[in-house]
Amino acid sequence: MDVELTEILEALCQHSPFYEIADDPQLNDMVRDIEVRYARSEEWVIAPSALNNTLFFIRSGAVEVLSKEGKLIRRMNEGELFGYFSLLRGGKSSQSMRTIEDSLLYCIPARWFLKLYEENDNFSDFFELTREVRLRTAMDAQSSDVSLMTCPVISLLRRPPISADISASIRNAAQVMSEHKVSSLLITDQEELIGIVTDRDLRTRAVAEGLDYDTPVSDIMTRNPVIMDSGDYASEAVLKMMERNVHHIPIVKNGRPIGVVSSGDLIQKESHGSIYLISDIYKQSDIEGLQAISRKMTHTFTQLVVADANTQMIGNAMSHIGTAFVKRLLQLAEEKFGPPPVPYCFIALGSQAREEQTIKTDQDNAIILSNKYNEEQHGEYFKLLSNWVCKNLDLCGYELCPGDIMASNTQWRQPLRVWKENFSGWIQKPKADALLRLSIFFDLRGVYGDKTLAAQLNQHIRREAKQHSGFLTFMARNANQRKPPLGFFRQFVLDGEGKQSRTFNLKERGIAPIIDIVRVHALACGSNSLNTLERIEDIEAAGLLPDGRAKDLALALEMIGMVRIKNQKEQIEAGKEPNNHVNPENLSSFEKRHLRDAFDIVSRQQEFIKFRYAGKRS
Amino acid sequence: MPLSKNKQNEVQDWQAMFAQWALDAPEGPLKRYYEAGIISPDTPLKDTPLLSLDLETTGLDPSKDEIISLGLIPLNHKTIRCNGAKYWIAKPVCSLNAESVTIHEITHTELAQAPRLHAILDDILGALAGQVVVVHCVSIERQFLLEAALKIYGFPLYFPVLDTMDIERQVTFKPWWKRFGRPLSLRLDACRQRYGLPRYKAHHALTDALSSAELLQAQIAYHMDPDANISAYWV
Repeated sequence: MDVELTEILEALCQHSPFYEIADDPQLNDMVRDIEVRYARSEEWVIAPSALNNTLFFIRSGAVEVLSKEGKLIRRMNEGELFGYFSLLRGGKSSQSMRTIEDSLLYCIPARWFLKLYEENDNFSDFFELTREVRLRTAMDAQSSDVSLMTCPVISLLRRPPISADISASIRNAAQVMSEHKVSSLLITDQEELIGIVTDRDLRTRAVAEGLDYDTPVSDIMTRNPVIMDSGDYASEAVLKMMERNVHHIPIVKNGRPIGVVSSGDLIQKESHGSIYLISDIYKQSDIEGLQAISRKMTHTFTQLVVADANTQMIGNAMSHIGTAFVKRLLQLAEEKFGPPPVPYCFIALGSQAREEQTIKTDQDNAIILSNKYNEEQHGEYFKLLSNWVCKNLDLCGYELCPGDIMASNTQWRQPLRVWKENFSGWIQKPKADALLRLSIFFDLRGVYGDKTLAAQLNQHIRREAKQHSGFLTFMARNANQRKPPLGFFRQFVLDGEGKQSRTFNLKERGIAPIIDIVRVHALACGSNSLNTLERIEDIEAAGLLPDGRAKDLALALEMIGMVRIKNQKEQIEAGKEPNNHVNPENLSSFEKRHLRDAFDIVSRQQEFIKFRYAGKRS
Repeated sequence: MPLSKNKQNEVQDWQAMFAQWALDAPEGPLKRYYEAGIISPDTPLKDTPLLSLDLETTGLDPSKDEIISLGLIPLNHKTIRCNGAKYWIAKPVCSLNAESVTIHEITHTELAQAPRLHAILDDILGALAGQVVVVHCVSIERQFLLEAALKIYGFPLYFPVLDTMDIERQVTFKPWWKRFGRPLSLRLDACRQRYGLPRYKAHHALTDALSSAELLQAQIAYHMDPDANISAYWV
């Protein structure tokens, strides 16, 4: 009679890696060699420094993993395996395992583990793949193929470009456009693209101005239009349209135009109106109008999430929208208070500067004034302007910064000279607490006005930071302040002290630590980028991290960011205010597993920067 | 609450009885079973070879109903060894009604192709030889096997048992003045839950044998002394 311990086999096959190899007939033989053990709470299963020759499967109960130093590493419950690390290293165990509840354990002999590991790739993958690879594979599998993210812009082109020579008149141009039923026309000079004319240009620059239709079309075209390469993704076209507030982008291959992508093409593809939102912002002439648009933001945000956009794209889109609000308010302010008496640059700090805004953000901004600024003569103007802008940003949903890091604060409205002195002081004589508060100043982007002021200041910061390794030591230490959780245990989030909590803050415990780590490396290699993913590319190119480690940070950021964004979308749909708090009960097992991998990457990279920028050792 | 141990004078002298039955039993498997003997009553629990047993029957009356499947799984005080697990199906003489088929998850086809109990009882006795049997609710298992042996060999089969239900009854016992509400259930599944053991699908002889084996492990961990003599616990 065939002896089948179905109960044991079925329990094993509900969980990875046995789930993946459930059809392997050998499993039946393996189950026959299993020993079942009951252990009461607080019993050593693998005692410190003991030899191990068993793969353990937790059938019920819970087990805690401790490091050599007795530090809690993680907790495991039903369905999890342990002991394989030591089996792969000849039985020596660096970690110890202790039950924290009465547990029923299935003990699988080492020889079975090694046999399956040898013979079955699906089985060995589970143990072999590093967390990084596991995370990468999972993320790849998750992204769908139909989204804008993976769709090349070339696939949206519906016809060859319609163009006219530079010598054409406005009338000729309009005739060509209506003949081909297009809303834009490329203007070429001996086949070289030199400009673009749109329906709107004909309306506003020709008809409304009463121009003679025989006027050369070159008088009304946009010169040196924004172009994209045929290899770029559709998502990049969306962002570019938002950033530059244009609705037509010629696509170029090997320097020659091969077609035009319009916002209509992208909107058909995607069904969200974030491109139009930007032009709507610039059309508003009062606060009420801007406020009305700001109320549509949550909708735009959820649309982006639904359209399967990744966090980078959503962050960029939300930042472009945020920047559009700032720019429009400053334009209106300059209409109200008159043109600025000296050049100035309005700068965004933190997430907006990094182009990583989400739905719910405070405003963090400042003003760099030209060195010609004179407090007595010009002070009042900039005070009025910045107070007005910050107050109205608040009305548009960008709440006042609780730390008062805003242009309306005199301290953060200074001539370039003073800014440079400030940064030199912070960098040359770093103080840990102060830097903690000031870290967002190291993500600084000019958004309106004389952007060369921001560029000069950024250059100054890069130079100073690279020369003062002591400063990097402080930044590295600060980047270690917020620790990611160990992972999950049942319905709780588990931290290093064994404390469990119902919810946790994904931004504080996951995203911010990654941004902090990346900022330190970026400053160390003098990167000019502000966006975290772009910084990661620079760090990788500079060879600051071992091979592949820089990419791991990007993956971890994307994983954690995605969970945050989905969570916020669900909060919005449930009629709640979106925030960064996540309840593990609402996470899928996929998300839990991979968040744990992501957290693991973060805490190891935190350790790494502690040593990498350790400062002087005596 | 520590498990109260059997008082010496209540204990049957299993070794003497096995020796006597070895002489009296007719030639054949049952005689060989008794000849194999049984461990000494002063063997510590931790050195006792244990064998968890469960059987499924056509009904609850040992005089009428028949054994249709039997599962065995060996263990000691610390571990259960799936390696020695055994399972038999026996074709009953009377036909089985549809109701008990669904309960046992054994199909008519399986039963129709199975041997009769007398053809497999030899093997079963071979597996039981020298072992102390673990069951949940001794009266059922012991009586069915006794009846079967009487029918097939004309001589009784009788053996010492660790009864997880009886152990549970003792450890959960409360004098009447401390009792309130409904008495604790002594059903296998209910007992298992008190020790945090997982829920299994019931009514498969081998799974139930594993179930009782696991329950005994938990009971030993909580209430029993591995160094105590087996005679303190067997019935």
